[in-house]
Order: sequence, then C-alpha cells, then structure tokens
Amino acid sequence: MTDRRENLLLLAPGLALLALAFILPIFRMLALSVQGEDGLTGAHFARFLGDPFYLGVLWRTVRLSLLITLICAVLGFPFAYIMARARPRLRTLLLIIVILPLMTSVVVRTFGWMVILSRNGILPEMLRDLGLAGRSFQLMRTETAIVLGMVQVLMPFMVLSILGVLARLDQRLEEAARTMGCSFLGALRHVVLPLSMPGIAVGAVLCFTLSASSFVTPNLLGGTRVQMLAASIYRAVTQTLDWNFAAAQSVILLVGILLVMAPYIVSQGRRHG
Amino acid sequence: MKAKILLAGTSVLFAAPLWADTLTINSFGGAYEEAHRACVIDPFTAATGADVSIVTAYSADAFAQLRAQKDAPQFDVIHFSGGQEIVGAKEGLLAPVDPAKLENIDQLYDIAKPNLAAGEGPAYSIAPVGILANSEAAEAPVSWAAMMKDADASHMVLTDISNGYGMLGFLMMNQVAGGSMEDIQPGLDAVTDLLERGTVIVSTSPEIQQEFAQNEAWVAPYAADYAFTLQQAGLPISFVNPEEGLPGSFITASIVAGRDNGDLAHRFLDIEISKAAQECMAQALRYTPTNREAELPEDVASTMVVGEEAVAKLIRFDPTTIEAKRSEWVDAWNRTIAR
Repeated sequence: MTDRRENLLLLAPGLALLALAFILPIFRMLALSVQGEDGLTGAHFARFLGDPFYLGVLWRTVRLSLLITLICAVLGFPFAYIMARARPRLRTLLLIIVILPLMTSVVVRTFGWMVILSRNGILPEMLRDLGLAGRSFQLMRTETAIVLGMVQVLMPFMVLSILGVLARLDQRLEEAARTMGCSFLGALRHVVLPLSMPGIAVGAVLCFTLSASSFVTPNLLGGTRVQMLAASIYRAVTQTLDWNFAAAQSVILLVGILLVMAPYIVSQGRRHG
Repeated sequence: MKAKILLAGTSVLFAAPLWADTLTINSFGGAYEEAHRACVIDPFTAATGADVSIVTAYSADAFAQLRAQKDAPQFDVIHFSGGQEIVGAKEGLLAPVDPAKLENIDQLYDIAKPNLAAGEGPAYSIAPVGILANSEAAEAPVSWAAMMKDADASHMVLTDISNGYGMLGFLMMNQVAGGSMEDIQPGLDAVTDLLERGTVIVSTSPEIQQEFAQNEAWVAPYAADYAFTLQQAGLPISFVNPEEGLPGSFITASIVAGRDNGDLAHRFLDIEISKAAQECMAQALRYTPTNREAELPEDVASTMVVGEEAVAKLIRFDPTTIEAKRSEWVDAWNRTIAR
C-alpha cells in the first residue's frame, strides 16, 4: 500500500462522519431554506429581511455577541498576561479557575445565575436595600443576564487564545521597551498588546461565533421576551413548525458567522501561504 | 398506589397473551412520567410482558419528532396535550383507533373520543386550566376578569403560549376580554397591559414553581394538576375555578401509523383509558378522568373538576382552529411580548 492510500484510509472514518453528520445536514438546510410550495423561492429570506421584528432579533444577536466579545477581550487580556508571567504553580491555579465554568454543567451554571439575578436574588435585593431599584426590579430575563452568563462561559476561549501567543512572546522585548524609558503600561500598550493581536483575533472569532449561535444560556437567562436568533430558529422548528423559515434563519446565521470569520481566514492564509 | 397497580394489572391479565415486544411511547417527564409509569406502563408490562421504552418529550417536541420521522416512525403510541393528534391524523401520521379492540372505550365520555376512526386517539385525562393563587399572600381572584383587572399584576406570572396550558389560559383571557377565536387582539392588549404593570412571562412549568417559591408570585393562570404539584412542594397554592368557566387540555393517546405492532398499541390504549388507570392518574396528579366509572375519594374529588356535569361544562377551544392559527398567533404573541 502506498503512503497516500494509507493516509486516505486513516482519514476515511473522520470524513465519513463529517459528511454524514455535518455536510449532509447543511445541504439539507440550504435546500429547505429556498424551498417553496412551487419550486425555488426567496420568500423565506424576504420575510426575515423585510420584517423589523426579525431584523431586531438579528441586530440584538450581533450587538450582544459583539459586546460579549469585547468584554471577554478586555477582561481576558490582563488575565492572560498575568498567567503568562506567573510562576508555573500560580499559572496552573489560574488556568483551573478560568476553565472551571466550562467544566460545570450548563444547567447548574445557569441556576447559579438565577439565584443571583432573579427578583429575590442576591444582586437585585442588594440594590433594592440600597434604594437604587424598585420592588419588581430584577436582572433575570434581561440582556444584562445574557451578557453576564455568556462572558462567564466564553472567557476561557479568549484567555487561552491570548495565552498561547503571550507564552511564546520573547520577554526581552518588553524589558527592552522598559529600559528605553517606557512605563509598565506603556510597554503593555506599545509592545505586548500589538504582538498579542493574533491571539486576540482568534479569541474574538471564537467568542463571537459561539455567542451568536448559542442557545441554552441566552434562552434560560434571557427568557422568552428577550429573543436571540438561535431561540427564534428553535421557535420556528418546534412551535410554528415552519421549517423552511427556520432553515432560512439558520442560513442567515451561518452566512453572518462566515462573514465574520472571512477576514481572519484570509489573513491567516496570507501569513502561511 | 401499589394496590391500584395490582388491580389494574390483574384486571387485564386474563385476557392478554404474552408479547415479547417493545412499545415506544413518549411521556412528559417529571412527576407526570412517574405516575404514568405506575398507573399505566407498569400494569401494561405486567399484563402483556412487553417492554415499554419511554422518550421524554412534550407535545410540541413530540409532534416535531413525529413529523421528522414520517418515513421511519420511531414511536408506537404518542401522547399529546395540545390537540396535535388532530393535525397528525390529517397528515396521515396516525393510525385509526379501532374501538372493537378497546374493551373500555364505552366507559369514556363522548367528548373524549370524537374522531377515533380518523386516527385521533382517545383522551384519557383532561387538565382543566384555571387560576393558581397563593391563598396566604392575597385574596384569590374569583374570575378571569378580576384576575386581569384587580389582581396585583406585578405578582402575576403568565406562561408563554408555546406551552399548551399557556395557550389555553391566554385564549380564555382573550375570550373574557372580548376576543374570539377569529380575533385575539383583545387578549394581546390585555397581556400588554399586564406586562406594563410588571407581570412576568415564563415558558415552562418549573419556572412557575420557581416564581411562586422564590420570587413572590401570587397569581398564575395554569392547570389544576400543577396546583397540586405546587401544594406537594409545600407552597400555599389553591386552584380557583373561575366564574366564567375554564378551558381544558385534553391529554390523548394515539397510535402512530406505519408501525407493525398495532395490536399491542391498542392494548396499551385500553389500559390507559381503563377505570383503574384513570383513578390512579387522578389521585397522583389531579387530572380529570374521562372514564365515567372512575371513582375518587371525597377529599380528592372536592378539589377537582370531576363528574359528567362538570366535564360537560369545561370549555374546549377548538384544537383544529388552534392548530390552524398557532403559527400566526405565536408570531403575534412574540411580537407583543418582545422587549
């Protein structure tokens, strides 16, 4: 057997699984999204794009995903920097802390937030006691709740992406900047931050795509009144039983995510190509 | 409970040959599934020797699965509480129910078996939807109108109409507000008014419990069985039977088309509609039996909607219309409640 054949043989199970569980359903979804009662139609897309309500859902999804990504980056960068410069034991400890939310079941994690954010939860109660909020004030079922919950889950993706870059960064570059008169923050801003951009970019793509497509956490924390695209797709599939419209929404989500990833893929292609 | 199971088991034992087969059904999870198992599934297994494989899926999810599996159905018997069997029968997803194969069918009220030949399975329980009220916190509203107008809306919980009970509660509010099955705008306006006054909307029953237990909810339109669930959880909840009447959710069992164990499925339905099973379900969950022979202890019956007269007074919003308009209504509802 030649090398190529062996390689192909090794690849086959993976490819078969991918074709069956990923490529086939995607084509089915694409087909459903343009299927009308008599032949091909763009009506499902027109319905979505021509309706302020659905555009609002789309805009909320994009806006919250951007916000979540931004917060992850702002919190994640210093965290990753400390991790990169810490001694091994502290680094391991920080690593465990940051990936802990990923190891907790989504249900437990979300119920934790419910305890903190609901009407009689710790946070609204404290704000009420301080006279800052009214009796029916609550943070559950708000956009704030979605952002909090999603940042908690997605932080590790950002931190680990940045850490990968920072760990390989030559520390002498930073020292050089300092000896040339740069302040600590100045060195961070002019040397470390620009050099860690590839890591931030990977983290941002991961955070954005994961939060734009996530369903369980936004649905549980945001409730039925604060809808995001994934919840809207779920409703179309299970409640109004309008699969064509659900497929059209899924395609819009897919295209949106591909658009976000495109600049990244192109830049990576250039770098390695 | 044990005695009941034994009773249900023995009453069918002598008639049944042994099937070494598996029946796949859906159940609704939680306490419902536990009671379903004890009152129907275990006696069925004892009587027939057949195994029952349970898939936990609410009506809407179960129906979505049924549709998706059209070419290769995986369920034998499917349970709905939102009238999905009517649409399922129309789409040819369900097989006709043969009354000749059901010994207990004559004991059912007529409204529980309107269209067996088309595939719409019989109703084996009815869940009346009224008002759940925390009787310690505030005076319970006596009518739907009082609930919408006078009750403190910031202590009220509505359920999304994607939930079957939520839909019935909403349609009742709509009717009381002056709407009809052709026009739900009065109901939507009433909901808008409540939301502006601080009412919370949830989408599942556990969230209702959470609101009552932790977040000072006092009033919620919902089903009688859930009032009992909350009482068992130690909450001071009473079930109000409002003056204007109350809608009922018919819980049906239908046979899926294209499966090869129809006889076994009929056997399952027969046990499900039997007097023993319905008494057992009513005691465990407070569902209204559809079998006129079913007898309940006085202390249980007094808290429920039971008997031929009471059952006849239940309002049944036409499930065909609900199914036909569901999509449109859910869309209008979503727009109304969206922030």
